[in-house]
Amino acid sequence: MAIPGQKNARDGLLFSLPFIGVYGLFMVFPLCFGLFISFFDWDILSSRRFVGLGNYAKLLADPTFYSSLWHTVQFVIMTTPPLMAAGFAMALLVTSASPLKNVAENVFFLPYILSMTVVGTLWAWLMQKDFGFFNQLARLLGGKGLGWLVDPKLAMWSVVLATLWWTAGFNMVLYSAGIKQIPAEVYESAAMDGAGYFQRLFKITIPLLRPTTALCLVLQIIASFNVFGQVYVMTGGGPYGTTRVLTQYVYETGFKYFKMGYSAAMSYVLFLIVLVASVLQYAALDKDAA
Amino acid sequence: MKKAILRAIELAFVLAWIFPLAWLLITSLQRESDVVSAAFRFLPSSPTLVNYAKALGSTEILGWLLNSLLVSGTAMALTLLVDAPIAYALARIDFPGSKALFWAVMAGMMVPFQVLIIPLYQQFNAYGLVDTLAGAVLPRLALPIGIFILKQFYEGLPAVLEEAAFMDGASRLRVFRSVILPLGKAAMTTVVILSFINAWNDFLWPLIVINDSARYTITVGIANFEGTHGTEYALIMSGAAIASIPQFVFYFFFRKNIIAGIAMSGIKG
Repeated sequence: MAIPGQKNARDGLLFSLPFIGVYGLFMVFPLCFGLFISFFDWDILSSRRFVGLGNYAKLLADPTFYSSLWHTVQFVIMTTPPLMAAGFAMALLVTSASPLKNVAENVFFLPYILSMTVVGTLWAWLMQKDFGFFNQLARLLGGKGLGWLVDPKLAMWSVVLATLWWTAGFNMVLYSAGIKQIPAEVYESAAMDGAGYFQRLFKITIPLLRPTTALCLVLQIIASFNVFGQVYVMTGGGPYGTTRVLTQYVYETGFKYFKMGYSAAMSYVLFLIVLVASVLQYAALDKDAA
Repeated sequence: MKKAILRAIELAFVLAWIFPLAWLLITSLQRESDVVSAAFRFLPSSPTLVNYAKALGSTEILGWLLNSLLVSGTAMALTLLVDAPIAYALARIDFPGSKALFWAVMAGMMVPFQVLIIPLYQQFNAYGLVDTLAGAVLPRLALPIGIFILKQFYEGLPAVLEEAAFMDGASRLRVFRSVILPLGKAAMTTVVILSFINAWNDFLWPLIVINDSARYTITVGIANFEGTHGTEYALIMSGAAIASIPQFVFYFFFRKNIIAGIAMSGIKG
């Protein structure tokens, strides 16, 4: 839009300036600086030493790196399907004619607004092996308690369960928004043709929600890839490192063992993986939409 | 009959979901000795507020809450200051580089924060910002998703509003301040809320940049609560309850905006 007396180039730049400043200082610069650091042997005690791709070579031979990466991938695989299914089921409930729908919407969404450390401490308490609710209940019913957070086979599932409770409400919001956009006439005419509830669900609702499902999937995978807080609070990465995720390894390497260069190199590999995963997903989405 | 079964399932689902929160409250109202007793009961035999008194009186929790309010409040206010002008520029001003700038904003959403922690820490160390609340808030000032939301809103505004003002000789800044900003209150509320929630729930960065427990934000404080108070479960739960009060208040007042914001943006904090 050309407006007499207005200088678009100058105004556009001026209005963007605060953002460009903040973004440059706290995003672009550290992003480049971090890459720089990753080429050095860099700790707080000795002076830094250029090692080229040494840190990258080192991480490729580091079993802890691989196991942490694997735990992150495990977490992504374990959380994504239940979180999407739960979000979808919740959305069906809150968009139905059920008398519970308003209460349900609040109840399902509330955990999401809590901070992850509150959620983590709460679930660690529910799952505490001697006095936690789950095991107390199990014993009351004549069973035996489980080692929710101390059994290597179970610990990751326990973190997944807490995460499910915490963030399913987010997916519910996305799915309800999608469901509300499906015109009522579609259902009405299907009902007139004698389609039952499940037929309508599988033939109308689920196919028409494909774009929402795709969006949910992308966001879920990215969010799950970044997992850290729940694990840190609930298990601290244990037992025996079976729940140590990549972000935690990056954090510990950098801020516990002060191997800054190595930590930066690992974070870049994580970045690369997230980037490739997102690009692949967006490409798949684009094809889907076309 | 079928309906009754369906209702029963729905009710069970809802009750299961609210239960952890109920248990948090129940635990926090019990005496420590009752919590770790072998005799399991659902409801406290003699409810007490002693844990809350202890949490408020002999821990740093109030200070942490205050720190979090400061950090989140600052993030909230400054996010608007950063996001609104550029969103307006991207939506309404045809200037060279605007497309590239928009893509740079969007690309920022793809960067996992973990990549920034090492270099940011070095930077902040050099600026003397380590162990300060300013250090905790600064990386949170620009919220790309906020720009996206505001841009979409500004694009939807009819052009005649601006044109009329420009005819009267108003400057761009004037138009932005007295025409655009007042119209965008709803969208801005959404952005402000998302920014508040983001900053409030931030964990990794404050964990790194703040060492002195007096300057912890509440999320970091609560995570450390477990370490320092080990098995005092009732105390820990009362701390968790106190820590969540601001969010409940926030939710109570802004429920609609929060949900609309998520539905609109589809971005996970």
